[in-house]
Parts: sequence; C-alpha cells; structure tokens
Amino acid sequence: MEPLIGMGVLALMGAAATIAGASEDLESDVGSQSNPNSQVQLAPQMMYPHRIFNKAISGEPPSNALIAAVGGASASVLMSAYSMSVVFAIAVGALIAAGIHGTYATTAYLGRSASQKRFRQPIYLDMVRSHVPVMMGFAYITTFCILVVSYLMTSVLAHPFPLTLLAFIWGITIGAVGSSTGDVHYGAEREFQNVEFGSGLNAANSGNIVRKAECGLRNGIDNSWFCAKFGGPLTGLAFGMVVFLSGWITTIFDPSMGANIGWLAIVAGLAIILILVLGNRRLEVFARKQYGPYKEDEEVTA
Amino acid sequence: MIDIAGVLAANFLYVILITLGGVLVSGSVHFVPVGGAPAAMAQATGIGTGTVQLAAGAGLTGLVTAGAMLNVTDSIALILAAGMVGAMIMIGVTMMVGNLVYVYGVGVPPASAKVDYDPITKDRQDIYVSQGTEGHGLPTVSFVSGIIGGGLGGIGGALVYYSLMSIANGMASADFIGLAAIFAVGIFFVNAVIPSYNIGGTIEGFHDPKFKKWPKAVVTSLIVTFMCAIVSVITIGGL
Repeated sequence: MEPLIGMGVLALMGAAATIAGASEDLESDVGSQSNPNSQVQLAPQMMYPHRIFNKAISGEPPSNALIAAVGGASASVLMSAYSMSVVFAIAVGALIAAGIHGTYATTAYLGRSASQKRFRQPIYLDMVRSHVPVMMGFAYITTFCILVVSYLMTSVLAHPFPLTLLAFIWGITIGAVGSSTGDVHYGAEREFQNVEFGSGLNAANSGNIVRKAECGLRNGIDNSWFCAKFGGPLTGLAFGMVVFLSGWITTIFDPSMGANIGWLAIVAGLAIILILVLGNRRLEVFARKQYGPYKEDEEVTA
Repeated sequence: MIDIAGVLAANFLYVILITLGGVLVSGSVHFVPVGGAPAAMAQATGIGTGTVQLAAGAGLTGLVTAGAMLNVTDSIALILAAGMVGAMIMIGVTMMVGNLVYVYGVGVPPASAKVDYDPITKDRQDIYVSQGTEGHGLPTVSFVSGIIGGGLGGIGGALVYYSLMSIANGMASADFIGLAAIFAVGIFFVNAVIPSYNIGGTIEGFHDPKFKKWPKAVVTSLIVTFMCAIVSVITIGGL
C-alpha cells in the first residue's frame, strides 16, 4: 500500500477512536457505570438518597465489548448477506447496538434502585425518560466510531481478524481505557466536590457523594456536563493514542517490506514507550513540587 | 471421526507453547498496578479499574498487533515482539493519561503507600500520601511495573495465537484466523482471571507484598491452560 494512503487511513482511525473514547466516557458518566458506581450504590446505605442514574452491570469493558460486537455482527451481516453499503451497514449496526444498550440500561436502573428500597432510595421514572436516550446516543457514537476503526483495519490495512472480532477487542480496550482514566475524574473529582481540591479522598468520606447540582438536585446528565470538560476529552485522547500509536509503528515501518523493517517498527514502539515513561516521571516530579508533602517529615521534626 | 491421539501427537509442541503463553499471561497480571474502584476515588495507588479488564485490554491490543504482524511475516520473534509492543503502548498510554487526571483533575501527587521510598527513583513516598488513603496515582515504580506486565502479557497472548495458527487443518483461511483468534482471546481471559484471586482487588506492582504470591497463580495457570490447549488443538486440528 502507498505509505501516504496508510497514513491518511491511520489519521482517520485515530480521529474516530478519539471521538469514541470521549463518547464512551461521557456515556458511563451519565449512567454512572463502572467504578464510581460503587459510591452511587453505597450512598443510600449511608443515608444519602440521591437522583443519580445507577447502572453498573458488569463494568465498562464487557458492556462496551457487547455493544461493539453486536454492532459489528449486525454490520457484517448487512454487508455480506444484503450487500448493503458500508456506511449504511455501520450506521444500522450501531443503531441496533444502541437499542440493546438502552434496553439493559433501563432494566439495570430499575433493578438496582428497586433493590435499595429498604434505604428509602426512590425510583425516578422521569430519569429513565431523560437519561436513557442520552446514553443510547453516546453508545451509538461510540459503536459507530469503533466500527469505522475496525472496518478500516480489515478493508484498507488488511488486518486478518474478522470485523466483529476486531470490534469486540476494541470494545474491551475502550472500556479498559475509559474505566482507567475518565472514571477518576468523575469518581474522585465530580462526586466529591464537598472535600477540598487536592486534599485526597479520605476513606471515611465513602458514600458521602455530592447530591446537589448547580441548579436543583444533581443527576447523571449534570455529571457528564462536568466531565465533558476534562475526563471525557482525556479518555478520547488516550484511546485515540492507543489506536494511532499501535498502528503508526507498522505503517511507517511496514513489516511486509522485510524483517529488518519489521524490527525497526518494534524499535519505534519501544522508543514511544520510553518517552511515555520519561513523560510520566516529569509529571510526577511536577506534581510533587506543586502540591508538596501532606505531612512534615517525621525524621526532621523529631 | 477426529483422530484425537494423532492430532495431539502431531501438535504436541504447540500444546506446550500454548501452555507457556498462558502461564506468561497469568504471571504478567501481577505486574500491572490495579487499584479497582478505590483507585478511581483516588483512595489507592494504581489504575482505577479491575485486574481482568485492564490486563485483557492491554493483552488484546497486543493480540491485534501480533495478528497484523503474523499476516506479513513468519518470524516468531517478530510476532512476539509486535504483541509485546502493542500491549506496552496500550498500558503505557492508559497509565500516563490516568496520571494526568490524578494530577490536574483531582490534584494529588502520585504516591505509593506500600513502600517508604520508590525503589527506582528513591523518592520519599509516605509523606505524599494524603490522609485516610492508601496512596494515589501511579508513581514511577508502578508505571515501570505496569509496562513490564503489559509486555509479558502481550508476548503470552501472541505466543498462544502463533501456536494456534501453526496447527495444520483443513479450514478456509478466514475461518481459521477467526477461530484461532477467538481461542486466543478465551485463553487470555482465563489467565487474566486466575491472578485476580491472588491480587484481591488492588496491587501496586512488583514492590507490593502481594506480588510474592505469583507462583500459586502460575501453577494454577499451568494446569488450566494445559487443558485449554488440548481442547483448542483438538478442535482446530480436527476441523
């Protein structure tokens, strides 16, 4: 393949992956999926009933793998059995996936909230009406972008894995990335704005989540509004970087041209990893200088 | 009728290699610094997600790169290296961006509560741990440990996939690649789950006391993956 075409396709994949990452994180913020959900689930038991959507079923990676695989399988069938155009097949596949996501978001919210009746946690039916379409919308964008990435990999970059399997794998990966990065912003920052910024979150504060928004009672859509400014874009950046960098090394140094060039791709990958380690170290030193120690050095003060 | 003994005898080397790949995966998970839900609340050091999910995310990214490499070359060293690098990039990027959120979003410095001094940078850790928490973020030692874990997991996953793809059979190429990749994903998940019983929610990396439990997971993985390997070799070889 022409190197320039390869780079163009890679850029498109990176852009789609960045959008997918951001929308995945915002979807999990509206629905309070994955890790921060432990606090949302715990709050009524600590006598803090709330108006935040609550739908962690099995964590972000399996949930996203499910919708991506459903979308991928649907799109594959539409393309191969009905000769549907690629764009239409991917759009319909993502629509089916969003429908399935909406179904289990509804049942999860009703089931989870009903199980907390003894803690006087209300079930807000209007939240189903307002939140589920938002989640379906974000799930649609995520699935659509993952399918675009998977389709480009199979058709243009000639990746040997089937479209559905690639969608499944990228679904797991996007969930793992979103759960590792975006969740921190929602969990430690958004849910606990009642503690001072930078103080860390004492375990004694568990369950004492902020329940009031800028206007009225806080809900999941307020949370995604907040996280859209930092947690969501950073998740997008992370997933975009994963897709782009893991493909970049073999696009620049194409291993099909010979084993030596293949080894150059590995060296380029290792160089990227070294840059990441050094970048992380700089960040660590910056944070230590900026925020300083939390307590005096006992050896000095004694 | 499948000639089970014949298929196994012809592919016994691959049974051994698949088992070795699975063992590598289960060992590698101990290196990955995971903090689960407490880490997402900045109450524990590590990445704010579960062991299995993160290991699977990294290892499967490695599988994608290894699969692309196997498509164009026969060199096993190159395929394993591609798997290693793919997984290391995924976990490195995730940890780096995660730390950005800890530092700029939550306002806490990366610190470990399991050791007083970082074994790599020799930086003091305990005074940077905020009150009532078990550390937060990813200090250098956890970052490096995570990179090593990702690399070993990627090699393991790629070894399983390469071995499965080397089994002789009568399937069409597209079916064969799909089936081998699904078996590789399955064996990867099995081996990502086993260490989570050792880890029990959180581990900071190779400096964490829980890391010493890894031989138990490796022995378990040896038995489980050997059985998985036999089933996968018979299935693929018999078709």
